[in-house]
Amino acid sequence: MEQNRFAAAFKQNAIWLVFIIEIAIFAYFNPKFLGLANIVNISRQVSYYGIASIGMTFVILIAGIDLSIGSIIALVNVVCAYLMMNMGWNMWLAILVSIIMATLIGVLNGWMVASIGIPAIIATFASQTVFRGLSYLLSGGLPIPGVVLENPTFGFFARWSLNRWAVFKAMGDIGLIPICAIIMVICFAVGSFILNKSYFGRYFYAIGGNEEASELSGIRVNKMKYLIYALSGFFAGLAGIVLLSRSGSAQSTAAIGFEFEVITCVVLGGVSVAGGIGHMSGVIAGVLIIGSLKSGMIMMNVSEYTQMVVQGLVLAVAVGFDCFSKKRQAS
Amino acid sequence: MYEIDGELLPYYTEIDPQKRLVILDSLPDCEAADFAREVYNDRYSDHERKGRKNIDWWLWRCICLQILYGRGGFFKRFRDREIDAITNELRMNDSDESHAPYLYHEYRNTARRYLSTCNSPGYASRFMGFRQASGDEKILKACSDIWQMSEGISRIAGNGGKMRLWISAFRDEIAEYDTVCLDEYERLSREEK
Repeated sequence: MEQNRFAAAFKQNAIWLVFIIEIAIFAYFNPKFLGLANIVNISRQVSYYGIASIGMTFVILIAGIDLSIGSIIALVNVVCAYLMMNMGWNMWLAILVSIIMATLIGVLNGWMVASIGIPAIIATFASQTVFRGLSYLLSGGLPIPGVVLENPTFGFFARWSLNRWAVFKAMGDIGLIPICAIIMVICFAVGSFILNKSYFGRYFYAIGGNEEASELSGIRVNKMKYLIYALSGFFAGLAGIVLLSRSGSAQSTAAIGFEFEVITCVVLGGVSVAGGIGHMSGVIAGVLIIGSLKSGMIMMNVSEYTQMVVQGLVLAVAVGFDCFSKKRQAS
Repeated sequence: MYEIDGELLPYYTEIDPQKRLVILDSLPDCEAADFAREVYNDRYSDHERKGRKNIDWWLWRCICLQILYGRGGFFKRFRDREIDAITNELRMNDSDESHAPYLYHEYRNTARRYLSTCNSPGYASRFMGFRQASGDEKILKACSDIWQMSEGISRIAGNGGKMRLWISAFRDEIAEYDTVCLDEYERLSREEK
């Protein structure tokens, strides 16, 4: 029995072992991979994946999917930049409005899935197309540059590190932690709290495990779906702000195919595509694996096209492993 | 495992709370009926006082036990504390032996209500609801769910003694669900997850 418990614990945390092996391989081929500059760079790079993956985790936990997050990010980019640059809005107000808009798009997705009964993949695919189109319409297909140049404080989210402040300068290397990485960590802490310590998290697992039983036990399943898709929209909006802060200019072509990378992170982290199973700690590992993989491949001069092939294979392997283990369990 | 009075049998075999209430109201006053009323009020009331209606609180606690089964060791202390609280809510700490037959049948009724949901189109579906599960897949998933809610969780919490009645009720109920279920339940028990 003890042996089985050890095996179960090992299985649950095996993803971290994969991460360590991956790091070791990249460090072996390029010692700079473990350099401070690269670690800081990876933490910046993974931050918006990490933030968006929290909402996606909730959605996949209820056996749903949200294909619209890439378009939400692009629209948030364009709307936020448009409000600031073309309409002269205050930065914080523009951010607030953009994030509220992203959350409302999530609510719209929830409405289509829960109230109309459109399959999640179709509903969110429709949203993806509509909101990508809207972002093109609003920007005229052109980038909106100079967001950070004209509003230097906007760089706070992705460009700033703790060492901007004197108190952290004294701490040396610790002060290099980018603000966006701290935002990601806070978001993961909130996501983990929701899943593990709140009734909402319990409801998410219950709906993913057995929707009808959840309904009979008093969970308002439709309302929960609204909430989950709204959360997915909210986190995508936040990721969009971080991305805009990083790139400094808004582009309607931003985050194309982003949803598949986020799904890869989540599924790689052990969240079952059948719903009801998954942990936030696994998702963190999934995000770090994908971030390190991208960074490692860039450092090894792997072409962008090959990177796409590798990422696609990782998604196929992660989903395949989940399906295979379910099939083996059933046979 | 436990035989009960024929008058009470329809009450314990019915899973719809409204129909159960009608049967309960028609029962003559006796100790068994009083206990059944007490358990009924406990089971179908909104313990969180959120104003929800038609709550099957015990069914919800079943689902919670299954979720806790899947929770990792990081929150083990909280998990064990919660399992203890749930088992107390489900009256597994009731030491009155005269209540055991009625609790056993109430537990079976809870398991039956859960199993009644295991044939819905979305149950055990694969890949974000794209592919519906076959009848066999649904049965195997139902066995796994029932095992996790009963023996699985008791192994994790190490409270097999306290959950004895609950485990046997769930085991007996799944055995009647389909011919393959008992074998599947035993297989899961042997694997000692």
